[in-house]
Amino acid sequence: MKLYTSVSYTVLIAIFLGILFNSCKKEEEEPQEEFDKNTMAANMSANIIVPSINEFDNNLSQLESNLMAFKADVSQQNLDLLRNSWKQAYITWQTVKIFDFGPIRNIGMKGAIATYPIDTTDIQNNISSGSYSLSTAANLDAIGLPALDYLLYRKGALDSLQNNPNCVNYVEDVINKMLSESNTVKSEWSSYQSTFNESTGTSSTSAFSYFINEFNRDFELAKTAKVGIPLGKQSLDVPLPEYIEARYSGISLELLEASLIALRKVYNGDSFSGSTVGIGLDDYLVHLERSTLDNTIDSSFGEMISKVQTFNTTFEEALDTNISGLNELYLLLQSHVVYIKTDMTSAFGVLITYQDNDGD
Amino acid sequence: MTATKSLKSIISRALFKRVSIAPLIIFRIIFGALLLYGSVRFVSKGWVKSLYIDPEFYFGYLGFEWVHTLPGNWMYLPFILMIISSLLIVFGLGYRVAAFTFFLSFTYVELLDKSNYLNHYYFVSLMSFLLIFLPANRDFSLDVLLKPSIKQKTTAAWTIGILKFQLAVVYIFAGLAKINYDWLVRAEPLKTWLHAHHTRPLVGDILRNEVTAYVFSWFGCIYDLFIVFFLMMRKTRMLAYLAVIIFHITTWLLFPIGVFPWVMIFSTLIFFSEGFHQKILFRLKKMFGSKEKKNSRVIKHKKQLLPKGLKTGLITTYVLIQLLVPMRYILYPGHLYWNEEGFRFSWRVMLMHKEGHAVFYMKDRKTGRTSEINNANYLTRTQEDQMATQPDMILQYASYLAEQFDGKTLHYGEQKFKIENPAIHAEIYVSLNGRPSKLFVDKRHDLTQKKYNLYHRNWIEPYHDK
Repeated sequence: MKLYTSVSYTVLIAIFLGILFNSCKKEEEEPQEEFDKNTMAANMSANIIVPSINEFDNNLSQLESNLMAFKADVSQQNLDLLRNSWKQAYITWQTVKIFDFGPIRNIGMKGAIATYPIDTTDIQNNISSGSYSLSTAANLDAIGLPALDYLLYRKGALDSLQNNPNCVNYVEDVINKMLSESNTVKSEWSSYQSTFNESTGTSSTSAFSYFINEFNRDFELAKTAKVGIPLGKQSLDVPLPEYIEARYSGISLELLEASLIALRKVYNGDSFSGSTVGIGLDDYLVHLERSTLDNTIDSSFGEMISKVQTFNTTFEEALDTNISGLNELYLLLQSHVVYIKTDMTSAFGVLITYQDNDGD
Repeated sequence: MTATKSLKSIISRALFKRVSIAPLIIFRIIFGALLLYGSVRFVSKGWVKSLYIDPEFYFGYLGFEWVHTLPGNWMYLPFILMIISSLLIVFGLGYRVAAFTFFLSFTYVELLDKSNYLNHYYFVSLMSFLLIFLPANRDFSLDVLLKPSIKQKTTAAWTIGILKFQLAVVYIFAGLAKINYDWLVRAEPLKTWLHAHHTRPLVGDILRNEVTAYVFSWFGCIYDLFIVFFLMMRKTRMLAYLAVIIFHITTWLLFPIGVFPWVMIFSTLIFFSEGFHQKILFRLKKMFGSKEKKNSRVIKHKKQLLPKGLKTGLITTYVLIQLLVPMRYILYPGHLYWNEEGFRFSWRVMLMHKEGHAVFYMKDRKTGRTSEINNANYLTRTQEDQMATQPDMILQYASYLAEQFDGKTLHYGEQKFKIENPAIHAEIYVSLNGRPSKLFVDKRHDLTQKKYNLYHRNWIEPYHDK
């Protein structure tokens, strides 16, 4: 019985201490505004995700009608219009591709729209044979926006499009495939949106966990695929220009900038159109009393974006003329990964494990 | 002389006193059923494929690196064996062979890859090991039905005591591990984990409240430390068991800890009285229509296989190992959570939230050029996450990478590189329990030059709070 009483006392004292400790601590704290992951998710989906998907769909429709205009009147001027709408779609895609979960993941849209480097031999073969199925895995590197980069910007592009009907048809098929995908995603998001807004738990299968994981993955991909690999970071410092995104148009650095801006908007909860500021990951961090981390991430985004803007050449030219600039850019990108993947994720308590876990 | 003699006789009496076998029989059925459920669940989740077929590389345990996976779908074999043997344990058919088979196949799988290490898997290994030596089939079993002469009404006290001891070890060491600054003063990692549940209906606001994290942390610590004592005392038992149920169901609702809560809820029934178990056993027998012959002469236990002295020695050895292994961390300098030296097999459950980012570099010694490694080419997501914060796995991965590149000729553009005996460096940042991340491994170390052994690893950056 003695043990029992002493244990009871220990329990009581412990609870008392716990409460005491808390009440002391509480007084020092500033009253904080209520934060809610559901509200943040609702802001993300209503003001960033869905608008960007709709915009991407519009861009592709525009691209398609520009192609029709080009077909009706083949001219350099109409090719330029076609190129412009292609570029606009590619820029919008930098936002859409962050959300590689739910409807986008279900149809493998990320791979279908923007796998690079492309295989020009596959594209050539498809065009000359005139019969192909664009949805096969083998054709992943012969479709999407990167394939159009090649078909619209390669040397003698106008000539081929003018004289080879198979070539124009191929462009049309590639565009139509993307259009049908963006249509699917657009309509599926209208029903998925409420799931996304509500599924904010911590399990690895919650939409919120997917969202955080994909946010991190998309940034890492920007770091590795857009900069690291072409810069030679995975090839003993031998630059690999054939791995540059959108190499034929030379807009790789613009795409990187658009990608970073898109990620920053998502982080800050700013609307896709850029007109309003909403609840984002930054507010979540501030709510968790991690404003120092929020400031670090915010200024790091700023640094990266202004660094990209210092380049006035294409990525490929920079490989020859400004490799140190690219290396500096890469370092900035690399330290940012640690902020978001390690510090931010651990603050959110998102579990990345897919198995059982007893937290060790 | 007399003192030691009397101590000896006290121990001997405590270990070999005859007690009702009912608790052991009930335990066999319940635990067997849990093993069955756990095995079926594991297979049905598709984890055999994702954890033991898909990966290219496995993080073996020091001294057990010779344990390898079976080719392809043969990996389902140990799981099929687990399912069959756990069924046999439940029914008590070919019991000892079944227990041994289960222990072997389960432990084999656990030894394959430490990225899947969980304390509760270790617990299952130990319990199924113990089951091999316990006469848990000597009543209400198909073995008895086939060979009635093996039936026993009583068993030596140690056969039940050892199970209680094992559970006590789990709880008490888990409780002791919670007596630390982060857990009690910062209420981490619970504060972070609970807060993330703030969108749950009804309880969300309670979970987000800081007070809740402190209450949970303190209650969890006290619970772990003392629950076994309360379970052992008749007066407090019912209340304590209610606490067991509430505690483990709460953890089950909040954290993805799989079958562990159920294992604990059901295993702790062993602390209930003989009478309680006899009643259940009686009802079970009635349900299955097995006739208990009144006055059926139960054969007095026959000649024991092993002399009592040897048994006492073996039991003592097991007990000592269980007490010493979780304490081995004392032998290492530095911060336990940071260095993770002596961390596993110590019942440190839900104690920390570590998040890391590891970039590995392969350096060609001839040209001095380096390549960054894309970890996803070699590791699964789980493996990469686990590896990034655990020093022994970092070393294992580094030596695997060196092996992968050694002797390879790499072509990049027009250039060719013949790699021989490459150096592997890593730059790793880790965040512990919500603190800002800090450098964990510096790029200056060539990890291929570091030995993988049990000595203290001085290449881990020292831990500084703040």
